Amino acid sequence: MRLAIVIVEDEPGVREALERDLSPLRNTLRVEAASDVDDAVALLAEIAEDGDQLALILADHRLPGRTGVELLIDLHADADTAAVRKVLVTGQADQEDTIRAVNEAGLHHYIAKPWDPAELLTVVRDQLTEFVLEQRLDPLPHLAALDAVRVMPLLRDRGDR
Amino acid sequence: MSEPQPRPLRVLVLGDDTYTTSLSRELVPALTDIAEVTFGPADAPPVTDDTTTALVVLVAGPTTRPLDATIAQLDSDPRLADAEVLVLTEFERHDDLGDALDQDRVSAIFALPSTDEALARQTRSHLARWLRTRAPDDPRLQALDVGDRPLELPDSELLRDLEMDDAAVAARLVSALERALGSRPRIIVPAGTRLTQEGRSVDGVLVLLRGSVALERPTRAGPLRLHHASTGPVIGLLALAQQRRAFFTSVATTEAELVHLSIEQLDLAMRTEPEVVAALAAIAIKGLARRLRRAEQLQVERIELNRDLVREREQLTRTLQELEDTRDALVRQTRLASLGELAAGVAHELNNPVAALTRAASYVADDATRLLSGTATELAELVVGARSRLPLTTAQERAFHRQITEAIDDPELARLLVSAGITDVDRARAVVSQIGDQDQLGAAVGLGSALRNLEVASSRIAELVASLRTFARPGAERIDGVDLREVVDDALRLVEHRLDQVAIHREYAPMRPVHGHPAELGQVVTNLLTNAADAMAGRGTMIVRTSMDGDEAVLEVIDDGPGIPADELERLDEPRFTTKQGTVRFGLGLGLSIVRRIIEAHGGRFHLRSQPGRTVAEVRIPTDEVT
Repeated sequence: MRLAIVIVEDEPGVREALERDLSPLRNTLRVEAASDVDDAVALLAEIAEDGDQLALILADHRLPGRTGVELLIDLHADADTAAVRKVLVTGQADQEDTIRAVNEAGLHHYIAKPWDPAELLTVVRDQLTEFVLEQRLDPLPHLAALDAVRVMPLLRDRGDR
Repeated sequence: MSEPQPRPLRVLVLGDDTYTTSLSRELVPALTDIAEVTFGPADAPPVTDDTTTALVVLVAGPTTRPLDATIAQLDSDPRLADAEVLVLTEFERHDDLGDALDQDRVSAIFALPSTDEALARQTRSHLARWLRTRAPDDPRLQALDVGDRPLELPDSELLRDLEMDDAAVAARLVSALERALGSRPRIIVPAGTRLTQEGRSVDGVLVLLRGSVALERPTRAGPLRLHHASTGPVIGLLALAQQRRAFFTSVATTEAELVHLSIEQLDLAMRTEPEVVAALAAIAIKGLARRLRRAEQLQVERIELNRDLVREREQLTRTLQELEDTRDALVRQTRLASLGELAAGVAHELNNPVAALTRAASYVADDATRLLSGTATELAELVVGARSRLPLTTAQERAFHRQITEAIDDPELARLLVSAGITDVDRARAVVSQIGDQDQLGAAVGLGSALRNLEVASSRIAELVASLRTFARPGAERIDGVDLREVVDDALRLVEHRLDQVAIHREYAPMRPVHGHPAELGQVVTNLLTNAADAMAGRGTMIVRTSMDGDEAVLEVIDDGPGIPADELERLDEPRFTTKQGTVRFGLGLGLSIVRRIIEAHGGRFHLRSQPGRTVAEVRIPTDEVT
């Protein structure tokens, strides 16, 4: 089982840049991308089918068809995906959308475009660490993508068993 | 006026016949020289066509009550409609005369049984008054005079004085005074003499025989001169009612001839000569009546003035609101204009870096290809492949990735190959065998992808800059050859971010160019697009259609939003129109009034039609202005 990160972004250039900035994590994690909400839903099904676990979703707000915030709200409402860490990566979400994302989708973080690659990686690492801690997963297979100091207690607990 | 042979007059006595004998004895002889008295029942009055009925004497009894109904019944006979009505009654109370009083239909009411000759005398007097108002020259009137005066004039001093004019009463007063006090000297004063002063004590009255006097009062708005007509012929009379303090300052406005009377003289005269009392009372009553009428008139004027004031205040409030709206609109336009200049400046400044960026991407591509072509042709091909590959959907990419992963059993390498545009399994295998170093392969694919993204991004910036420059050209001259379709495309590019979830159908028919101001027309289109997007709450289908209709270029923006109710449609042109709670908002802070203004400045017309599910904003601009 691998943890998966899904990027939802309609602009190919931006999508590829996100993918490339996250490529240091590829050895440890599954990094996938979708161009819109429908595609993202199909992708999530594939990930589940492959036996992998969706841990983090990075969604643009502005997407053709349904918006990124709507996708996040759906994920939040679904028991299977409620725990998934949700990050909005967007250059243009008005206050109302952002409020909805926080209140109704349990948004965990907001990254404004253009982003700083190092900061992006830090956010992703923090969010994955939170996910592992909350889900009390075995951190060892994913350790390279996590904050090792914070997951240490988890390692100790598991070692005690 | 009078007839040569006056028709005989008749007095009808109708109703209860209890008193017929006594009434007949009293009335018939008293009226015999001018009218015939006839008795009859109220429900069938003995009216004949050869006489004129001047008076109806209605005797109240069981058959005539309620009197209002009986009088109304009498009035339905046109021959009785002009007759005066006198009511005789033995009842102590009447609640059946409301209509008669309301319509002034009863001239007098007498109690029965009659105790003296009053009824006969007053009936005669009524008859005389009736005749004098209708036929003043009637010879029968002479029979009705008493001595040298008409019978119907009042007998009492006061009533008689009340019917005279001021000068006559004043003359009567002075002659009565002189009878009581002996000769009174006349005093002549010049114009401007103050006869009483407000607040000062008044020690006598002045009788005005000639000239005119005005009253003055100080007010917050300065001294106020009251109407001449407010002054009666006796000055100082009112002060007697308030501790002998003058209420007004009275000033002679012409030379005036007066008789002065001290309070003591007045007292003596009133004690010895009753006519003095009657004349003074008449003067006081007439003066008060005049002032009362004047006060009531003023009250009416005040109410009307107040109403006018309220109306004017409302008008002012409205005007002020309109001015504020206009000012806001101007401020907004100024702000937009300066924003436009700013955008134009930014667009201009962006040109250089964009040009450098575009060129640099192209140079990097050339150099990288040249660099690799000598030593590593396969890598150079990967760069080119990644740079020029056809766009795939993310789903397609994942499908190819799956296939190639199965073939070469390396998901990361498969991903790189797909990114390099390699979707064929055999070719993938070949590339893998040629290039052993996955790191170099990744770098080549990354370089190609980055170059492609650079080029796409810089050309998008270049397009946006070009669109902005079209829009932000404040004060630019109108130019020929403006293609509305290009204006629409530019506008669509700039508001694209608001139309993410709107399916836009462009239906462009060939059209002639117009003569116009591209930036202003662009603002029109931008407004129409954002209005439509707002009305659709950001999703739905929008049709942007251009066509020619005769010489006119026609642009229609059609949305499938909920539409605008008819009553609001009428108000849309008012500045700052918004419907707060929902269906219609106008984005960018720009009203349709600006749209209409710009279009009309181009000699065109703007029209908005709306029904639920289909709102059409139509712009028509003539093309025959091309010079």
